[in-house]
Amino acid sequence: MTFVPRALIAEVTHRCPLRCVYCSNPLEMRSRSEELSTAEWQRVFGEAAALGVLQLHLTGGEPLARPDAEQLVKSGRASGLYVNLITSGIGLAEARLEALVAAGLDHVQLSFQDSEQAHADEIAGTRAHAAKLELAQRIRKHRIAFTMNIVVHRQNLARLRQMIALAEELCVDKLEVANVQYYGWAFENRSRLLPTRDQVRETVAIVDAARERLKGRMRIDCVLPDYYARYPKACMGGWGQGLMLIDPAGVVLPCHAARIIPGLHFDDVRSKPLRWIWNESAAFERFRGDGWMQEPCRSCERKTRDFGGCRCQAFLYTGDADATDPVCSLAPQRGLIDAVIANAATMNGESGAPKWVYRINPSNTPAHTSGD
Amino acid sequence: MSQSPDLGPVLLLPESMLRLTGPGPRIIELCDGTRTLAGVVEALQSEFSAADPEMIHREVLAFLASLEERRALNFE
Repeated sequence: MTFVPRALIAEVTHRCPLRCVYCSNPLEMRSRSEELSTAEWQRVFGEAAALGVLQLHLTGGEPLARPDAEQLVKSGRASGLYVNLITSGIGLAEARLEALVAAGLDHVQLSFQDSEQAHADEIAGTRAHAAKLELAQRIRKHRIAFTMNIVVHRQNLARLRQMIALAEELCVDKLEVANVQYYGWAFENRSRLLPTRDQVRETVAIVDAARERLKGRMRIDCVLPDYYARYPKACMGGWGQGLMLIDPAGVVLPCHAARIIPGLHFDDVRSKPLRWIWNESAAFERFRGDGWMQEPCRSCERKTRDFGGCRCQAFLYTGDADATDPVCSLAPQRGLIDAVIANAATMNGESGAPKWVYRINPSNTPAHTSGD
Repeated sequence: MSQSPDLGPVLLLPESMLRLTGPGPRIIELCDGTRTLAGVVEALQSEFSAADPEMIHREVLAFLASLEERRALNFE
């Protein structure tokens, strides 16, 4: 069976002006000196398009931390890709926004942390909210698709209605209400971020009502925390089935978190053709099909729909990347997730400022050569 | 709009896509930011003169309404 990748997530840098407590970047970041050059990305976009990729998501870190962001947009478009910029928007002056639009940018996804400045800035670890509001109004004046993304969690879900109202006020085409997914920095902060079961129920009701009211004006995508699900998510649509991520140093991954799985060697675009990495590399083949599955997945009728869930989550909780995703109600280790939920519920009423683990910025030298 | 080697014509949208069939690609080409809705319908009626003009009118409206709902199109 052959799989065709449709989307490429290009993490063009890990540098970022924000320090969000739920950042999806790995704990071990790529330094600036490791980053692919403009010309290398240009070549990679061409290779991706030839493989069948249609959508390019430029992300990071903060993709605008790269001075060549406009050139990357242009290269993506020249390869025939639909180009999406996923940005915090910090420091995006009007002249640069115009240059990005002129370069062919199709879609901007601007992140917000909250509807209220103090809460937003606490989560971002820096003062960013006011600048985002100002930028959102300028983005709307351009003829490009505009999505607002708000990452939601226990500390801000009480303001979900205000967040939706903010999206309406800013006239975005799409709002993403994205519950934190517990990998990377978010995994470190999960006991303070995980919503309660009641919050999740209320989220569904609020989003359903808003969708009905805003039909034709604004789309709302909603990602619920899989810890409360009965069955796991089909993570990334299945390992190596339709999507790939390339990290700042050119390493090709099936998802944001896959580098945490031990024993897998992920190839990079500097040493191997992208087509070979996608079609033939051992890491991409590792969890395709169902030959690797254990029970209860192997004989489960849902295996063709959810592919046993998320390999990274299985590894994070059980130490075994071949295990059934522990969020599954059929998983032998479901108790591990229930314990996290119970712990989060006991912390819910806790007073005092949360002690966050803030994301750090990469150092200027590769992690494996810095220090002793 | 883009031409995929294996899927044919597709309309690319934020994190999704729409496979286009029949006159779909032509309708989208006609939505060039300058034509009016009536202009799009008239152009198609003259290009597909063998078909019932009323049916073309109805189907174009339904197609464009579905695109608006997906936020793929703005009526200005």
